[in-house]
Amino acid sequence: MVVATDDEAQSALTPGVSTTFEVLAGEIELAGARCIFLDSLIGELMDLVPDDQRGRFVEGLHAVDLLAQHLTGLSAFARRIGANASDDVSTAAEEALRDITLGDLADRMTGALGGQDRFAEVTAGDVDLF
Amino acid sequence: MQFATRSSNILIVDSDRASLEMLQIRLTVVGYHPSIARTGATAMEMIRHARPAAMILELNLPDMCGLEVLEAIRAGGGAPIRTMVIGKRIAPEAIRRAIELGARDCVAKPFSGAEVLDRLSRMLTRTAPPPAASSRVVLV
Repeated sequence: MVVATDDEAQSALTPGVSTTFEVLAGEIELAGARCIFLDSLIGELMDLVPDDQRGRFVEGLHAVDLLAQHLTGLSAFARRIGANASDDVSTAAEEALRDITLGDLADRMTGALGGQDRFAEVTAGDVDLF
Repeated sequence: MQFATRSSNILIVDSDRASLEMLQIRLTVVGYHPSIARTGATAMEMIRHARPAAMILELNLPDMCGLEVLEAIRAGGGAPIRTMVIGKRIAPEAIRRAIELGARDCVAKPFSGAEVLDRLSRMLTRTAPPPAASSRVVLV
């Protein structure tokens, strides 16, 4: 068993259930937006693809479209749960964040959940999607 | 009055990186030209440099309140910028003040990208002028 010191306990990231679901909803919404971007890109490529190859692209387009809808649905679900939940009960977010191996995602969620986002200082710019 | 179009430059001001990137992608895909700022000071600088057709403005910015950005724009004169304010648990008083300062719409976080796009599109095509500087807004 690991016993946290007072300092560690105070610095632990333990946001409320409502906040946690709201942040999760925002991240799923972002993933959905990336799918929509991909969907539009595949749509543009369709015009350049030879007729005999087009079937594969149509399948890919449908798969991405389905994924976008999937994520939109999950985001709406998380948003609704968050709106109806309380922040009186906290989540063990810090521990759960360790399971996220994508550094930028983990940092962004840490910041949104009340911790320190290491990339928060980047302030502005023109469109630079990926 | 000149209508803003899908090719319009839209300034998104938000310190929440997920929300910012999500809106940036969604606006780009449908043909808008979004610019982004994560602080009020940066937003003010960008507005001075190139006035956007519309702005999506988070009220809770790290360096100042979004209302202060609206106040500075109004104080600076020139044409008002069609503004949609966004934020978590926005107090009715803040919404009222934002509308008095020229905001045209208000969307509570967390939101769906589709909802923001829909309301942005409606805001850009609406012809009614914002309240005059001396108008007092009453929420009912």
